[in-house]
Amino acid sequence: MKEIFKITISLTAVCIGAAIILGAVFTQTEHIRKEQEEKTKKQTIEALLGYGPGKQAPPSLHVFSVYRYVIATPNKERMLAYVLPVKDGGHVILEIDLTGEPRRVIPLKAKEAELAEEGLRDRVVKEAIGKDYQVTFAQALYIADEEGKRLGYVIPSVTQGFKTFIHMMVSLNPQLTLNGIAITESEEDPGLGAEIEQPYFKNQFEGKTLEQLKNLKVVKEPLPQDYFTVLEPEKAKLAGLSAAQVKEIRDKFKDADIFALTGATISSRAVLNGVQDAVRKFAYRLGVLQAAIQKKNIQTAF
Amino acid sequence: MNRNLQLLWNGFIPENPIFRLALSLCPAVAVTTSVKNGLMLGLAVVFVQVFSSCTVAIFRSFIHPRIRIPAYVIVIALWVSVIDMVLPVISPEVYKQVALFVKLIVVFAIIISRLELFASKEPLVPSFFDGLGMGIGFLFGLCLIGAIREFFGAGQLFGLDVLGFKPLLVMILPAGGFFVIGFIMATFNYIEYKLTGKIPASGGGH
Repeated sequence: MKEIFKITISLTAVCIGAAIILGAVFTQTEHIRKEQEEKTKKQTIEALLGYGPGKQAPPSLHVFSVYRYVIATPNKERMLAYVLPVKDGGHVILEIDLTGEPRRVIPLKAKEAELAEEGLRDRVVKEAIGKDYQVTFAQALYIADEEGKRLGYVIPSVTQGFKTFIHMMVSLNPQLTLNGIAITESEEDPGLGAEIEQPYFKNQFEGKTLEQLKNLKVVKEPLPQDYFTVLEPEKAKLAGLSAAQVKEIRDKFKDADIFALTGATISSRAVLNGVQDAVRKFAYRLGVLQAAIQKKNIQTAF
Repeated sequence: MNRNLQLLWNGFIPENPIFRLALSLCPAVAVTTSVKNGLMLGLAVVFVQVFSSCTVAIFRSFIHPRIRIPAYVIVIALWVSVIDMVLPVISPEVYKQVALFVKLIVVFAIIISRLELFASKEPLVPSFFDGLGMGIGFLFGLCLIGAIREFFGAGQLFGLDVLGFKPLLVMILPAGGFFVIGFIMATFNYIEYKLTGKIPASGGGH
């Protein structure tokens, strides 16, 4: 009987000690980690829009964040709510019901920085919509404008990978043709599924139109050597290919399906599914959103 | 030879965790598709092994023998979590590469086996060298397997094209990992047989 107390105390002491150390380290590192995450996100979006090291994003480039919320009214009616930036610098919440009809427009008095942080934003939005509403965050969208003209859209997407979820960002141009994709978070197997982050896989999506994407498949065929070379920008440079030659080879494979990664067909399919899903839903939602904005005559910032 | 140096050397070759003790073979097969992966995981293991060995060696008298295994698991998980939180702050680039592997280390047999067999009985300094030696031995094993698999499977070394073609794709697939480990283990046993004249017992001598 005495021993059981000793064991309990000993194990509890070990756990408490470990918890104190973990807590201390967590509080010291958490805000730095968050800052870095924000920075990486910004860089990923800029890279998808064609800016990165060596090509500074111009000051005329504006990336607007639009947040989509799913809300349920007190009498259990489901609706969507978009947080939109407006011309004078503030934000509004636009409610759209499931038939696409706009409902209320609620002005939002919150700063950009407050909205960027997920927990804070959820609270602000819930307060604005109403206490007895159920508010769930669904997705963020990024709309990029350059010199007053639409440059493109960046949509985050999540898909079931081989083991866990693959988080990615899909970039579209104003005609909804794929500009490129970026894998932001994945836990695929190194050397096999993790190859989805390599340019020779990612760049295969570049230039696929909305129509093409619908019927795109993953094929289990070896990647042709010339296609591989142009997909890897550095390899193409090494091989001494001119821009015209690169374009010629790319045109040859314009209608090609996605070539599966060796030993990672499931991961390859997962990425394609994620992209197809994200783009299909986005194309539909964008139409609804734009119609609703027009009906309510909201002067959006983008 | 100095005992500490001997402990260091012991983990490196005579009791190499992968080829002699045959421990933690699962990660050794799973992530060694390239030298870089092996190196990253190996480095993470060195840190966790050394920190865990030292912690257990310091607190060994406080840990009740009946609950030593859960206590060790907590110690390992603690250090893994600390590395997982501190590394992205110190160096986000390196963390991006190792993030996947760091979380796997909690369940590595080699670490808990060293805590149980060595650190729980010995004082701090020998435990440190034993942990360091075992970690380096594991790192060496992963790099060796990774180099062989990457060279034959992808025709590359450290991600750079060496051959320009892929001689044996099977090497980069899981089956190749078993082949490579089997062959290296056989080589180790052969060398031991030549040196001592004794036929090594099954399980790599243990």
